Amino acid sequence: MSKFTHNDLIVLLTAIGVILILSRIISEMGRRFHFPIVMGEIVVGILLGQTVIGTINPEFFDSVFPKDGNVSIAFDGLVNLSVVLLLFVAGLEVQLPMVLKQGKTAIYISFFSMLIPFATGFGFAYYFPQWFGNDIGGDIFFSMFIGTALAISALPVIARILMDMNLLKTSVGQLIIASAMFNDLFGWLIFSFLLAIKSGQESLGVGYTVLYIFGFGIFMLTIGKKFIDRSLPWIQTKLSWPGGVLSISIGICLLCAAFTQKINIHAILGAFIAGIAFGDSVHLHEKAREIIHQFITNFFAPLFFVSIGLRVNFIENFDATIVGIVLVLAYFGKVFGATFGAYIGGLKIKKAFAIGFGLNARGAMEIILGTLALNAGLISPKLFVALVIMALITSLTSAPLIRKFLE
Amino acid sequence: MEFDIQKLKKRPAYPFETIAVGLAFSPRMEVMLTEAKKIADTCSAKLVLIHVGQKTKEKEKKLGDILFNTGIEEKKAKIIWAEGDVVDTILKLCKLNMVDLLILGALEKENIIKFYLGSIARTISRKAKCSVLLITNSSQQKIKHKVVINAGADHPKTLHTINTAFYFAKHVGIKEVTLVHEIHAPAFAMAMAESSSAPEVTKLKKEYTEEETNKLHKLISKCDIGNLKINEKLIKGKPGYAIRQYAETKKADLLVINSPDTHLTFLDRIFAHGIEYILADLPCNLLIVHSRV
Repeated sequence: MSKFTHNDLIVLLTAIGVILILSRIISEMGRRFHFPIVMGEIVVGILLGQTVIGTINPEFFDSVFPKDGNVSIAFDGLVNLSVVLLLFVAGLEVQLPMVLKQGKTAIYISFFSMLIPFATGFGFAYYFPQWFGNDIGGDIFFSMFIGTALAISALPVIARILMDMNLLKTSVGQLIIASAMFNDLFGWLIFSFLLAIKSGQESLGVGYTVLYIFGFGIFMLTIGKKFIDRSLPWIQTKLSWPGGVLSISIGICLLCAAFTQKINIHAILGAFIAGIAFGDSVHLHEKAREIIHQFITNFFAPLFFVSIGLRVNFIENFDATIVGIVLVLAYFGKVFGATFGAYIGGLKIKKAFAIGFGLNARGAMEIILGTLALNAGLISPKLFVALVIMALITSLTSAPLIRKFLE
Repeated sequence: MEFDIQKLKKRPAYPFETIAVGLAFSPRMEVMLTEAKKIADTCSAKLVLIHVGQKTKEKEKKLGDILFNTGIEEKKAKIIWAEGDVVDTILKLCKLNMVDLLILGALEKENIIKFYLGSIARTISRKAKCSVLLITNSSQQKIKHKVVINAGADHPKTLHTINTAFYFAKHVGIKEVTLVHEIHAPAFAMAMAESSSAPEVTKLKKEYTEEETNKLHKLISKCDIGNLKINEKLIKGKPGYAIRQYAETKKADLLVINSPDTHLTFLDRIFAHGIEYILADLPCNLLIVHSRV
């Protein structure tokens, strides 16, 4: 086994340092124009990666971000850890009681904002796979992935948009947040199922995969949650602050992720469900929640989102037709589905449209989903690039469109 | 006996013209009836005593003795003996008799199975179409000292709840109440982590608190305070849980909250929110105001 050398360590530390500093600079510049932070990180990835520096000076690119060898393995490990932790913080904000509390309107919005984009994506991918750069027709997994990719929302960017617009605490804001939580939960459950089936077709059948996913979810959200609920007051008062809660919460997240990976469901599900179990606890201090968010969002998120640009050539893989189709389906399915749900849930048409456009922001979650699908061989780089562009455009257009319908 | 559902829907939450008491023949029945008589007298309300179960000589005698001890005149109180499902029968009788306030005895904490399956007092509290006063098992003193009212300023029911609580407070001789507004913003931490500088975070938090304080002041300005002394308190935490903790810490006699907005099911107990946090472990006597809006 080859050892991690003195030089490998220098390369790895340089790469991480450059990524963190550059992505912070570019994201801060973007923040002045109200661009989501993830956009800056993707741009840094494109600049540092195969698209720009990798094309202009391939030797330099390979020396800082080698494609294979020890540094590449170590960097891949960090990126995998990042995605697990990003799913943990995503879960931390999913509060199922909130969906129940918001009542039937939230349930209608959540249901139709999942069902219609999922059905639209599934149908088009199943009958017209060539539109998405896939030659195999009737591919159930691929069609289900497209359905899920169009159905998911991005809670972090939605929360930020609503906060900037001073809508976070309003009834419309709360309905959007509650529905986004529901979309995230079911989106990640379906996606974990797809990844599990794709990666472990020989070892697990569909029935067992579903059983394992629901079994783990129900266990963690009942017994696991009770255990966390009972332990948190002790952790937060008897252990060092905030080190105690930070290490125990992340430790439990990683153990859950390892467990779900072990039973052939992807690690992301374990992390996501662990996040829900922690986030829903009445004992989790608001300050602890903020610290976990800050630590993961500002250290691990840049590593993950920059790594996307490092691996994929965005110019070579840009296909205007696929981008156009993905954008049209994404807008149609989500906006129509959520608006329809809000309308039959009793809201007036303008408010219903505002909710539709609010939920349309895909942001970071879509990009994570696309990356995992690309790594699992579910989609092509061209479709991945289209999904990233769709995620960014839907996030950028969400605020002005909400404003238009609420004015 | 027929009842007019429209008349019931339009009926304001107060004054309490008809007060019903659910009788379970528990050791606490006398304390409950003493409290009920006091409230009925001060509110000039009719008293309806309901027992769902078999009518026996022993029960009749026991009730007669307690009524004598508590000073309730048998002729003035309406006593109903009924059989059937306890929850459904009590709810139906409350509607038929246009009950404004139903008084029930309740344990502070049910055992876990009973809680999830739904005990009688708690199930009625979730479903009742009138206000419900749950008198806890350990409450020894009368309701007169510390009253905590949930003043969720964003909810349309809250104004009715506060006014009903003030009406109740004035009639039972309470001089001071605390209006508590819970602050809870899901996804706030996530939104701030997305991109905010330190001054921005401080400013956002400050603005948020100021906004909530103003809402509470605006709400109080619409209430009929009279001579009551009002304290205000903003607390952070999950709605329901935070106020339960507050009432417990302050050793309140009575906690007043809005009635639930939706039909609560088993799922609401698993993924608890709002009233379910309070019903899971009653911190003190609980008045659930059904404002019928």
